[in-house]
Amino acid sequence: MSIRVVKTQSEFEGEISEEIALVQGKDLKAWGAAADLSIVGKRHPRIDGIARVTGRAMYTQDLYLPGMLHVRLLRSPYPRAQVQRIDASRALALPGVRAVLHRFNAPKAPFRGEDTIFREEVRFVGDEVAAVAADREETAAEAVRLIDVDYEVLPFVVDLEEAMDEGAPRIEANGNVSESGKYERGDVTRAFASANTVVEQTYRTSTQLHNSLETHGAVATWDGDELVVHESTQHVFGVRAGLQNALKIPFSSIRVICDYMGGGFGSKGGAGKYTIIAALFARQLGAPVRCILTRDEENVAAGNRSATVQKIRIAAARKRIVAIEHLSWSNSGQGKWVANPPGPTNGLYDIPNVRTRSYRVVTNMGFLASFRAPGYVEGTFALDQSIDELALRIGLDPLELRRKHAGRMTDPQTGKRYSLKRLAQCYDIGATEIGWQHRRPEGLRGSAPHRRRGYGMASQLWGGSGLPPAYATVHLNPDGTVVVRSGTQDIGTGTRTVLAQVVAEELGVTLKDVRVEIGDTNDQYAPISAGSLTVASLTPAVRLAAADARSQLLDVAAGLLEVRASELRVQGGSVISHGRRTPLGEILKQVDNYTVVGKGSRFPNPEDVSLKTFGAHFVQLEVDVRTGEVFVEHVVAVHDIGRVVNPLLAASQVEGGVIQGLGFVLSEERVVDRPTGRVVNGNLEGYKVPTVRDVPKITVRFIDDPDTKANNVGAKGLGEPPIIPLPAAVANAVANAIGVRVRTAPITRARVLEALALRR
Amino acid sequence: MKPFAYARPRALTDALRLAQAGATAMAGGTDLLGLMKDGIVSPERIVDLRDVEALRGWTRAKGKGIRIGALETLAELEASPELAKLLPIVGEALRPAATLQLRMMGTVGGNLLQENRCWYFRDEAYPCWLKGGIRCFAVDGDNRLHAVLGADVCVAVAPSDLAPALIACDATVTLASARGTRTLPLSDLYRVPQGRARRMHGIIPGELITEVRVPENALARRGAFEKAMERKTWSFALVSVAVSVKLIGGVARDARIVLGGVAAVPWRARAAEKLLESRALDEAACQAAADAALDAAEPLKDNGYKVPLARELVRRTLRRLA
Repeated sequence: MSIRVVKTQSEFEGEISEEIALVQGKDLKAWGAAADLSIVGKRHPRIDGIARVTGRAMYTQDLYLPGMLHVRLLRSPYPRAQVQRIDASRALALPGVRAVLHRFNAPKAPFRGEDTIFREEVRFVGDEVAAVAADREETAAEAVRLIDVDYEVLPFVVDLEEAMDEGAPRIEANGNVSESGKYERGDVTRAFASANTVVEQTYRTSTQLHNSLETHGAVATWDGDELVVHESTQHVFGVRAGLQNALKIPFSSIRVICDYMGGGFGSKGGAGKYTIIAALFARQLGAPVRCILTRDEENVAAGNRSATVQKIRIAAARKRIVAIEHLSWSNSGQGKWVANPPGPTNGLYDIPNVRTRSYRVVTNMGFLASFRAPGYVEGTFALDQSIDELALRIGLDPLELRRKHAGRMTDPQTGKRYSLKRLAQCYDIGATEIGWQHRRPEGLRGSAPHRRRGYGMASQLWGGSGLPPAYATVHLNPDGTVVVRSGTQDIGTGTRTVLAQVVAEELGVTLKDVRVEIGDTNDQYAPISAGSLTVASLTPAVRLAAADARSQLLDVAAGLLEVRASELRVQGGSVISHGRRTPLGEILKQVDNYTVVGKGSRFPNPEDVSLKTFGAHFVQLEVDVRTGEVFVEHVVAVHDIGRVVNPLLAASQVEGGVIQGLGFVLSEERVVDRPTGRVVNGNLEGYKVPTVRDVPKITVRFIDDPDTKANNVGAKGLGEPPIIPLPAAVANAVANAIGVRVRTAPITRARVLEALALRR
Repeated sequence: MKPFAYARPRALTDALRLAQAGATAMAGGTDLLGLMKDGIVSPERIVDLRDVEALRGWTRAKGKGIRIGALETLAELEASPELAKLLPIVGEALRPAATLQLRMMGTVGGNLLQENRCWYFRDEAYPCWLKGGIRCFAVDGDNRLHAVLGADVCVAVAPSDLAPALIACDATVTLASARGTRTLPLSDLYRVPQGRARRMHGIIPGELITEVRVPENALARRGAFEKAMERKTWSFALVSVAVSVKLIGGVARDARIVLGGVAAVPWRARAAEKLLESRALDEAACQAAADAALDAAEPLKDNGYKVPLARELVRRTLRRLA
């Protein structure tokens, strides 16, 4: 089949870009709502569930190779300093220490736009200064303490709002604040001038830490001139590109493997410094090298969701929203980019006049990294609270006010028609499930003395269309079993299971006959497992690969059975010819070891429609007004994501998003000591992720209407949507309960009590 | 973590001899191991007490109250239905403490002697005053979790949930060393660190806690415990409150009000206790006691919320007794 080059527009993490995609053959017609599907759309437990819970699944951290060396890192104790001299002689004298790398002896290795991994000027507490490889991890850790470094300490700033101040130390030559996003429609100035009601408020969100169960890390081995790296990553091909760029070796010499991984939430998008360091040591010392971050390191030097301060001005006239202005500043730390919190303001509601600005603020803190719906969680926290504040002022139910601006089927940003939009239906289901009719503008009495009950909701907008390029192959074994191969990875969402379902459905075999091999750059390219794009990118490709394999299989079967291929079909693992069933294995074993290999590639997204996911969360909670404690009682999460390939895994994805959102809005906050720039709670004791006791009743509902314009499966992404509206919905419910608004996340006891005290 | 010598005696006398020789005692290890991994302490010798059977279990002798062995695990105490009947406040204090895994390992003695959780104390990089360093970093740093009552140089708070509950029951603690034993009120074990005494406990090197006793007359008291956390479980107290009173003819006698998480020591609110003497535990009396308990509060920059929070928990625990 010949290859065609197509240009396509893709959306990733709220950014639209032009991409080139290569496709072969013809796409399949999408499975419609009436398609007779027996495996897709059904609840199937994870096919790798037993391997995971019995410990057979191999994670990067489980890998202990013979003769393997261990790396520990020396990290800067200062938020900003010049590294003037390093003396590693005491460390090298320690028995078991094999080598020390630092800026005065490490080979040049370009990394994220800089020409070295060990900077001359370290810029946050935790910045890499030196690395030690030793026979044992404990030895390496002890050696790190024996490295003598002379630092010249420089002026620094760690706090977002301090860094925005004119008088703050300048960390970058052209200032700490730079514009990173800008959007405008309508005439905002005039709309505000003629509005009846204007609400203006400032919202703040704190830095959230990913805290993936498995910390970042890599194990590197050189076998001759081939570098094999096992890494806990969301993108094996991204890690390969990072290694190629740093080490200047050909792609053919690099293999990156990620069999299983313990979560990433956006922070494992490519090679880290630990990857490069492991590879450098492995080459220098001729042994496998393991470099895995500790929990404390993870929480200072592996990314975060940046803190924000956001100002929103919103105006109403004739009981409608007529204008909104949303300005946002994000603490990117030492990050090179910044998410766009006003993203939902730009596109979620149909408001005629919109002006938004996003600013990146650099500080001497660890870098931000993508974190499950970067920007959109923070932005929705501000946007959907401002809508409730306006609704209260103009005496409207906040859901009714949203409905006025949520019904249009045209994307206000592009003017294109949505391929599918069921936001109003999400509102209907959510309102019914939570019992929205019980809500009173002044809140309700709670179930115990001094407790107040409140209801709140918020809306979700996200992409999730998926994108090319994504490739897969489907191999048929002589016994009729099937292997699906693609260079994607499962970050914990159930990718293997979902791919197997689509292949089994299309090919006509049973789920147990399908094995999915992923996470290896020796296979065909697949995109990063991020941006809610895995299902929507990969399932259409594997479906095509399965269809290709089936068509080849039927050609073979037709020859053997001496019938026309068009008279055959595959069902339940057998070829069916005029009512006669022949198991695939019987057919394939007749052709010896001929391997049927079906190929599939992801076709571009349609250009004439806007592909989005929508949803709404509804929350019922109580607040103790004397102790500031919030009791979340019930969360209803409704999402419109096209076809649901596996309702069981999809529900678990939503529950995870809701719980992570609860952490963001109620308890998670990185605490930094301003005088020293150190994170003082970078561990699982001090940094409060939700526990199972913090999890309320969660009702998950899907619209489950296939988006037949999106791709041949009709599915869109669900990774990020379920965290987006939850924090705002909780904040709105708290405000409804206690009659005073807490505009800073997390909504801790301290902040609730302070807000209540200010009212009195 | 530095290498260390390790001994695991079976007899208490052997354990005491090893402790006398300078070994650090380890019971469940839930605190000590963390301190060692974080480089806060580096003992050269450890005496692991887990096999010292004599320190396990709890008993009740009629008329002599309750004796709890120092090695009794928190989970064992919490799960005992007999103890729940005799001294329900202990279970109330333990259930929200840490996690089940930690309570399975953690012991009574270890819980009472655990180090504070101040994040400056726990970070090796800060040469804080309590560790023999130059100054307190929490005073001008982030002190949202720190003391509001009775602080001197150091503003760290007493972390145990069990200690306030036991002190509210007039518990005593017995300390043994190779030289002998001594028994003192549990409340006297705790010290506000000051001057040259940069420690939160008054235990002498070489001493081990062997047992805790609750006197018989304390079993006639009514008690209650409340704890405020940053999430629903696995969290040290922002504030905890243990109260107990004798209720005679509807009025309170001899009240105990002990707060955790607000001061360097489990904080006896004596003025508030006095206010309740011979009064019914009605709303006015409980509120007055709660106000008095926090009367001397001096919050820091970030922990002002602890004052109304503690006040409310005092009021609530007292009202539960009425």
